[in-house]
Amino acid sequence: MSVNKSKPVYTPLQADTSGRFHLMLGLAEGAAALHRVIDELQAVAPDSLGRTRVLLSNTAEPFQDLGLAAVHVFEDTTALLADFHATLERSLMGTRLYVAGPEHFIGRTLQIALAFNLNKDEIRTEHCGTHARRVHCVHCRATTEDVRTNIVRCSGCCRWLAVRDHYSRRLAAYMGVMADAEAAGELPPVQEVYP
Amino acid sequence: MNDAQTLAVQVAAIEQVTPLIKHFTLKSVDGGPLPAFSGGSHIIVVMRGNLRTHRNPYSLLSAPHRLDAYEIGVRRMEESRGGSHFMHDQVKVGTRLEIAHPVNLFGLDKIARKHLLIAGGIGITPFLAQIEDLRGTSVPYELHYAVRSAEHAAFLPRLREREGERVHLYYDSEDQAIDFAGLLSEQPLGTHVYVCGPAGLIKRVVDTAHAYGWPGSHIHWEQFSAPPVGDAFDVFLSRTNITVHVPHDRSLLESIEGAGVEVPYLCRGGVCGFCQTAVLELDGELLHNDHFLSDAEKARAKSIMPCVSRARCKSLVLDL
Amino acid sequence: MSAVFKTDETFRDDFTFRNSPEAIRRFPLPFPEDRYMYSVNMEPHGPGPAGSVTQFAFDVDEHYVAECRERALVLAEDGLRFQALPHMMSSQWDCLELIMESFARDYPSHFSLNKHGNEWHWINRPLNVDQKFVFGDASTLPLQPLDYIGRQAQGDFVVMDQREGDLWIEAGMVTAQADWSLDFDIGMTFKEWHGPVPLAHEMNVFDRALKYLLNLRLGQPVRRLNWTMTVHPRLDTSPENYPHWGRDRSSVTAQNAGDLVHLRVELQGLWRLPRSNAILFGIRCYLISVRELATIPKWARRVHRVLAGLHPALVEYKGLARYRDAVVEWLAPYDDGSPTSSGTSPE
Repeated sequence: MSVNKSKPVYTPLQADTSGRFHLMLGLAEGAAALHRVIDELQAVAPDSLGRTRVLLSNTAEPFQDLGLAAVHVFEDTTALLADFHATLERSLMGTRLYVAGPEHFIGRTLQIALAFNLNKDEIRTEHCGTHARRVHCVHCRATTEDVRTNIVRCSGCCRWLAVRDHYSRRLAAYMGVMADAEAAGELPPVQEVYP
Repeated sequence: MNDAQTLAVQVAAIEQVTPLIKHFTLKSVDGGPLPAFSGGSHIIVVMRGNLRTHRNPYSLLSAPHRLDAYEIGVRRMEESRGGSHFMHDQVKVGTRLEIAHPVNLFGLDKIARKHLLIAGGIGITPFLAQIEDLRGTSVPYELHYAVRSAEHAAFLPRLREREGERVHLYYDSEDQAIDFAGLLSEQPLGTHVYVCGPAGLIKRVVDTAHAYGWPGSHIHWEQFSAPPVGDAFDVFLSRTNITVHVPHDRSLLESIEGAGVEVPYLCRGGVCGFCQTAVLELDGELLHNDHFLSDAEKARAKSIMPCVSRARCKSLVLDL
Repeated sequence: MSAVFKTDETFRDDFTFRNSPEAIRRFPLPFPEDRYMYSVNMEPHGPGPAGSVTQFAFDVDEHYVAECRERALVLAEDGLRFQALPHMMSSQWDCLELIMESFARDYPSHFSLNKHGNEWHWINRPLNVDQKFVFGDASTLPLQPLDYIGRQAQGDFVVMDQREGDLWIEAGMVTAQADWSLDFDIGMTFKEWHGPVPLAHEMNVFDRALKYLLNLRLGQPVRRLNWTMTVHPRLDTSPENYPHWGRDRSSVTAQNAGDLVHLRVELQGLWRLPRSNAILFGIRCYLISVRELATIPKWARRVHRVLAGLHPALVEYKGLARYRDAVVEWLAPYDDGSPTSSGTSPE
């Protein structure tokens, strides 16, 4: 079965020393990935640490005493994303964005980054933690969060939805399509496939 | 593109706007509208001289929504292979020319949050059309225009009148220079920079932008330079079964066209890759002058861009 | 092309859609050989033979009025079947100009376009439209330009912006699609949009197509054919409405396959647009029942063989799994094994 080319591909974060400013966002286990990048920057481009800003949530990972421009820990994702948006409004060309965390977090940060014309050359993402998906129901347009199974009941219209690999960056969600439209009630067994 | 798809135009007006630059207004021979175009587009003007045919690209500087005429600006080049001299010396009001449909290899990024336009000399031409497109939007932009002196600032009255504060002029004669570092270090996210003019200006902007962390996708440049000259050489076209001689001051592409063989082309400047031709045999070396092939591809010497590249060789066979 | 429009045809409910013998003969069969696999298969979109679907830039046939009515019904139920991102306005005007000029030039008895500078006067006789407006001024049209003209043309329209060395799906009028959602896909790149297509990516079909399209020139459009099958002559086989049409796939038998199952062919045209430098992707949909197809002996044999030998991944992706065998069984009596000439002509 070939891979859907819209499905995001994540790679372990590496420092992008072609950038001048580094803006890093980490949720939960993502913080450790950011720490790795900062260590890398410290080794190859220590001057850039003073132009590196870190926004975190759900973590106790220590980042002090590294000469970073700022480290902020937010009580929840909403507060983090609000600060992220405000930061982008003040940011300059030459900024590189690093995001590490579960996919739903990456998706929502990229929605914000999109509005500032940041493109793939300026963004690096690493997936950490749960593979649970956000699913967009193509019938009623509701989003069902935290989906770990191959089929799921839509939070909006209650239909059983097959969770596809077709992904929209604009919606930060995978496509969900009625699973038994061709033969009512004919559903595959529910399996946890996105742990 | 090939010559079969050209439009027939007639020169309706010629104005000497600076000591070196002439402004041509072209109208359709049949009196009908010309195709609309997007700012940054260029046309290839086919000039059939007595001895040779020139095909030169010129940016359209007219307003893109203006369909009754196209306007181009031609700088008289000191070391010309004839194209700009032909335009300046042979072309008169009433002269008929063939032009290709506009092609845009220097388009504005439609989702940019700001446009930074940098022009040197004749490089102002594509921006004149682009600022017409920008006027209809609410996206902020700046134009920085460097010239030798006020006398050489083409289209200055038009710019001043329509753009006012958004145009920043720099006169070499008064030691005014663009502060590339200052300019490129302070732009908000989502800015795109566009530069058109001499090679040196382009290099300064591109290098400085990279130094300040701009990714390549936000840096746009266009350069219309004549194909480099070089030692004469011969080339054999395997499918047409003829040998073509390439004189020192004619490009490989022009020489092949002169022999009656058509090669698809778009920009004629080594940027778009459209004329890429397979090299079947080579005894010597290829002189790659293009910006399309990767270093690895250039080293493999299996492809060449005949519009700007040449060879120094005992034999060269192309798949044409 | 017949000048008589079938105004009462339906593409839903009672499905009264039928092709006249003339429409059958001009049908764009997408199978030049007895087996089918993807290819880039683009060719210049130049004038085809008189009376053929490619004679003109945009084909208007006997189903024109009925299809426009069907489109209006889809849009009334779901307004998001037309969308355009804000920066795509100049491309919408480019599309309106292209379609209006083509229709007026190619079907002067049905359409007229008169211009005095930017003051345009558009007349569409089959749909009873008489509209004066200022080209470039959206306030002078009752709808956005692509919405306005899209409702007066057959087939779907997708507009792709070109930037950063890629193509981005950022505007569209999509009511007759083969199972893809504009609302979900808008904003995607060319390859992301085609993400779900199996095998083709491994064959580099989309890499090559993208490279070709990035160099598409003004005045030199291209075209290609694509195909799938649909149960009933239903144009709106959108994912959005899958709960309504999905069950049709389970209703096909070897006895009713000839009447229920339709070959659905997309004549895809691609045009470079002048002011926006974007690309218009026109997806013109033609439907023909298997029974209508079988009235042409060569086509009956050809389609029988293509379907019988179709790659399993394509059977799956094109949604044919539940009824492919029934169609093959229905066509079998028409295939005596005799050779078929290559090419798609009826003889």
